Amino acid sequence: MDTKTRDELLKLFQSKLNQTMRLYLETCTRCGICTEACHAYASMGQVRYISAYRHEIVRRIYKRYFKGRGKLWPSVGEAKELSETALDELYEAAYSCTGCRRCMMYCPFGIDTQMLMSIAKLLLVGAHAEPEILTMLADTSIEKGKSLDIFKESFLAGIKRLEAEVVKKWRIEAGKKAIPIDVEGADLLYVALAGAHSIIPAAAVFNAAGEKWTLSFFEAVNFGAFVGDPTRTRLILDRIINEAKRLKVKEVCICECGTAFRTMKQMSGKQPFEVSAITEVHARYLRAGRIKVDKSRFKKKPITYHDPCQIARNAGVIDEPRYILRHLTDDFCEMSPDPRYNWCCGGGGGLVALGEDNLDFRMKSARVKVDQVKATGAEILTTACENCHTQLSNLNDHYKMGVDVQFLSSMVADALVQ
Amino acid sequence: MSADIKVDKIMDLKGMPCPMPVVKVSKGIKEVAIGQVIEAHTTDPGALADFPAWARTSGNEILKTDQTGDVIKFYIKRKV
Amino acid sequence: MDIVYYIVLVPMVYVACVIFVVGTVVRLVKLFMTPKHSATLQIFPERRPRWLWALGDAFLLPATRRYKPFFWVVLMLFHLAFLLLIVGHIELIAEIKPFQVIPHEVFLGRGFVGLVLALAVLYFLFRRFVSPTKDLSVPEDYYLLILLFLSVLFGSQMDWARRWYGYDSLSAADYREYLSGLLYLRPHVSIDLTASGHSFMLLLHVFFANLFLLFLPFSQLMHSIFSLPMNKLRRG
Repeated sequence: MDTKTRDELLKLFQSKLNQTMRLYLETCTRCGICTEACHAYASMGQVRYISAYRHEIVRRIYKRYFKGRGKLWPSVGEAKELSETALDELYEAAYSCTGCRRCMMYCPFGIDTQMLMSIAKLLLVGAHAEPEILTMLADTSIEKGKSLDIFKESFLAGIKRLEAEVVKKWRIEAGKKAIPIDVEGADLLYVALAGAHSIIPAAAVFNAAGEKWTLSFFEAVNFGAFVGDPTRTRLILDRIINEAKRLKVKEVCICECGTAFRTMKQMSGKQPFEVSAITEVHARYLRAGRIKVDKSRFKKKPITYHDPCQIARNAGVIDEPRYILRHLTDDFCEMSPDPRYNWCCGGGGGLVALGEDNLDFRMKSARVKVDQVKATGAEILTTACENCHTQLSNLNDHYKMGVDVQFLSSMVADALVQ
Repeated sequence: MSADIKVDKIMDLKGMPCPMPVVKVSKGIKEVAIGQVIEAHTTDPGALADFPAWARTSGNEILKTDQTGDVIKFYIKRKV
Repeated sequence: MDIVYYIVLVPMVYVACVIFVVGTVVRLVKLFMTPKHSATLQIFPERRPRWLWALGDAFLLPATRRYKPFFWVVLMLFHLAFLLLIVGHIELIAEIKPFQVIPHEVFLGRGFVGLVLALAVLYFLFRRFVSPTKDLSVPEDYYLLILLFLSVLFGSQMDWARRWYGYDSLSAADYREYLSGLLYLRPHVSIDLTASGHSFMLLLHVFFANLFLLFLPFSQLMHSIFSLPMNKLRRG
């Protein structure tokens, strides 16, 4: 690696060094309490998947360039040069971590591995060594924000074709739109994913609840966050924030996507609207009696719920899905351990978006998740995150679990009654 | 297949959830030569926004978009 | 030899203390002047009051108790013994009334505080020779534990000798004279302190303790201070 590249990468490293990051970098005692916390280590038993081991990959570079000790006496902390080899190690550490933050629960100091991996990811972006698929997807999202007019008409036409499907699930009054878009003054802006499965059930439930809602032009998922690029993350967020402000909505409701929800909820700053997850909105409708669901719809099938890490442990939506499930079934089986210590599905942090490239790792590293699901004896495995759903479906096929993987919001839509 | 466009590769992306159609196409386009055309079939309405945006960032060209029934067909020419 | 005793027992102690205090303060000031992370890093479900739960997390290590109960017991014993050891050293400087709530003879703990500490440090050290903790450890982790062990061993040996073997050439009063002299900047190393059969124990104890203090502000031992604010971040 030439000096110029290294200097540029170190500038990027420096840009991540706020107080919190320094605390995370300077406090670890390498006690190893986090050893069994990572699903990849618990499933595969390889040392490189221990959280503290991942931290050290970043920390050794930090010691070398940002601490006096690393310059004077590098061997004492095994401070390490930033080199091509170091970049390979950073890649291995960052893209085998799903950012689930389960290890943060184990650590006596609460060190956030996802934060430390964000340094690794940013250095990889700087060195153009990140998974190019993620950058491509992030750039596609940003481009959509810039050139809305180009695809607006065809997108509207595409959405219109979905309306009949929505009406099949919930009949609406004549003259009303089943999927309203671009409605100024609506109460709620729903930010879906690009797929029909993320739009149709949600639309049926909004219509059933009599919500004054409007569908966003943009998809919720933030590939900028997956690839660990703060600039791209912000640009992708801003598209939705600007749309919400333009339409003067009171609430932005994020579809079943963990990263999208957490990023919007915790990183959008102070805004004139509330941010909620669709699970929270559905629970609210049920509580207020705005929608009713038929419990017999999923009769005789025990149901379990997988808490998406970014929605439950990392953003606090824990009681709402359980409240919804109490309305959908009398046979709910809770997973063990509880949501704080729930195993990650193994698909977060952009790993699912890498598709078949890392399928083998995703399957091997999530064996503990499979065991956890099997132990519940459930026949329906429901969740509220697209990434988790894809990964759990892959696990279902790979391990022949024989469960029916469902989105919670689709279950609500399927069980709607007048 | 569209009568006036010579297609070199057909990709069936029907039923794939987001963002797989655009991921597959971005990989698939590297398997044809510059100037050749891919015909991609998808059922994902989000692709109507994703594909044009991806084409602009990647420097490729969407020659035509057909929406028939549930299936959306894109004709994409590799330019870079 | 006297000059070696003098250097270790007086100027080196001052240098170590100054570097320890200045190093710690500079590091804290620099750190807390750096901007904070803008988004929350909280883990849910939320428990209130958050500061109380953060205190509980920092001092009682609930996750460690849940997943590594034996290690938790050793950690708790170690930290408790370490605290008592600090109290014991303060009592070696001067008589402090509140510490005598439970009447005891100086040095605190009848020799067992040092014993527990030495055994706990050995446990910490030995577990670092075994995989997977071995694969996580870097040299400083071993150096610090070895330094601490040597310091505790020689320090405790002075205590054990008086308590368990009836050795009485050096008494608590001798140490008090030396330590209070250091504190009031009137250092005096008496002949009793350097000419007794166990004087080299004192020399080695102070030498290793000095090294430990010198290294402390630049090491992960700062977790003693950082643990609480970091746990607060996790609790929101």
